[in-house]
Amino acid sequence: MPELRKDPIIGRWVIIATERAKRPDQFGGQAEEGPAEKPCPFCEGKESETPKEIYSIRPKNTPKNGPGWELRVVSSVAPLLMVEGDLDRQGQGLYDLMNGVGAHEVVIETNQHIGNMADLSDEQISKVITCYIDRIVDLEKDQRLKYVLVFKNHGWIAGGGRIKHSRSQLIATPVNPKRVKEELAGAHQYFQYHERCIFCDLIKQELESKDRLILEIDGFLAITPFATRFPFEVWILPKKHSCDFTALDPSMRLDLGRVIKKVLMKLKKGLNDPPYNYILHTAPFRRAKEGYWKTIDQDYHWHIEIMPRLTRVAGFEWGTGFYICPLTPEAAAKFLREVEV
Amino acid sequence: MSELRRDPVGGRWVIVDTDHPSKPEDFEHEPHGWRGGVCPFCYGNESLTPTEIDSFRDPNTAPNTSGWQVRVVPNKFPALQIEGDLDRRGIGIYDMSNGIGAHEILVETPYHHKDLSDLLNEEVEKILTMCCRRSADLVKDKRFKYIMIFKNFGPAAGASLEHPHTQIIALPLIPKNPMEEIKGAQNYFEYRERCVFCDIIRQELQEKKRIIFENKHFLSFCPSVSRFPFEIWIMPKKHQSYFYNMPPDEIPGLAVILKDTVTRVKKVFANPAYNFMVHSSPANTDTVLESYHWHIEFMPKLTRVAGFEWGTGFYIVPTPPELAATYLRA
Repeated sequence: MPELRKDPIIGRWVIIATERAKRPDQFGGQAEEGPAEKPCPFCEGKESETPKEIYSIRPKNTPKNGPGWELRVVSSVAPLLMVEGDLDRQGQGLYDLMNGVGAHEVVIETNQHIGNMADLSDEQISKVITCYIDRIVDLEKDQRLKYVLVFKNHGWIAGGGRIKHSRSQLIATPVNPKRVKEELAGAHQYFQYHERCIFCDLIKQELESKDRLILEIDGFLAITPFATRFPFEVWILPKKHSCDFTALDPSMRLDLGRVIKKVLMKLKKGLNDPPYNYILHTAPFRRAKEGYWKTIDQDYHWHIEIMPRLTRVAGFEWGTGFYICPLTPEAAAKFLREVEV
Repeated sequence: MSELRRDPVGGRWVIVDTDHPSKPEDFEHEPHGWRGGVCPFCYGNESLTPTEIDSFRDPNTAPNTSGWQVRVVPNKFPALQIEGDLDRRGIGIYDMSNGIGAHEILVETPYHHKDLSDLLNEEVEKILTMCCRRSADLVKDKRFKYIMIFKNFGPAAGASLEHPHTQIIALPLIPKNPMEEIKGAQNYFEYRERCVFCDIIRQELQEKKRIIFENKHFLSFCPSVSRFPFEIWIMPKKHQSYFYNMPPDEIPGLAVILKDTVTRVKKVFANPAYNFMVHSSPANTDTVLESYHWHIEFMPKLTRVAGFEWGTGFYIVPTPPELAATYLRA
């Protein structure tokens, strides 16, 4: 019998379609080849081919926009949102619009031509984490901005384009995005009733049942969510409550790097290097606004969502917002637990 | 500078790239890589599908044999199952229930290679009539709260079989996206006592910038707040809340505009994958008939939804709908 499961945070239902279920090992090896690879502008020595450096981790004696760096952030070649200009909010009849003010940056995670973050070292991933934090903190200074989404598109199917050099992106928006608002509202509602963080409750339940637990290392755990949208969707959460990713203690960054690497390696090895997206959900910039964000420190909990792209989102999902997942998260977790990395 | 636009119904913001708009030739084309093999939807293979639910067929032909024009069968791999109880239950903080519902496949034509644009108007009318007839039958089951009719064409759009087909899913609850639309429309109605969709039609007809085609009863246009490049909405001009209760004499007009939409998209893009879905009012619930207006959302599959869209629910539209409409009108 197929099951309907509800995400406890935002209330989204999913169908766990047991009738069309495949075995976990039937999902891998389908990776589709996209169009031919493009020459890489992100390798060391090609600095002049990117827009100017916004941030870098490099030895003091190396010049900006020159070689010698370990990690670089540049603005996107085709930025969707731009820092210059005014929002200029206006209405046109029924429609509201404003200028696309914001920021769109690319984090080049390594100076080597490595395609998958899974192949970076724990230390290098921890530098990527430090970079995310530094960039978010810097963007917060711009009063027009409300949220920064950190995300990664790996592989052609996941929107990774034709350049195979491991990188992530940051987009800062002048409005709080819908998905983020839903999560915040769901967590807030739960807190008002229970006076507990819903994510902390979820972590407790997952650690007790262990059905969906992939790994637990140091201060973090990786699980497949109960109401999973995609086969092998993985969430990484800090065990200790914190709403704000930028508050992550420097001593924890290497641990998080290790967890991310382990999870990505398991996906790569177990599912034959699948395309994937990941996103970081953290608290928005807490600008002074009456009656808002009073309990966000207590009710929200940052986390990372990783979505391998093994199934296609089709008309049903677009039309309903209802996802059909052909694999139970319990089977996915068991499979990933058993992949040795 | 790009533009942020807010959808007046659901309140969703999208980013429209008005600065460097993508032209049709800028989208990387993904060829349809079909697997081939025996097709369960072709004439002579009727025994390969589950037992027929309904069909339009030649007189003197028996169900589950050839001679049909449109044929509806249960999905062999249903996402939901028709027998049983919902049996809602909780496990700690989690809620769940059994996957009760119906999942039917409407085979649109006996011809394996004919898409909607290749069919005669009368053939498209039969498909639409059958969609209405199946919906009306399914809502008799009081467990069902929402009927979703949609089509996936091409592997990139999620179709696993090549033979053109539409799917009908009956759900035991109102899903999230239609619910948001319904609530948004209700809020708008409470404040203004007008249907937001009727207002959209009025504004689109006035501005004319995004209109593609219209006939007596229907209008097709690129919505101001599209989520996807070349997204097209088809709407009845007169306020109607239920797709499947549409007056039968309006079906020919809908067939013409739906076929026109597919034909125009195929003129701009060579054999694109696409999805469309019918958004209608929920069934078996107290709905506000005055505030919701059924429509079809049609999207060619040109871009890949990636991390940003998943993480934010914010969509990036590389081609402004005004520009898309000029290509589609040409």
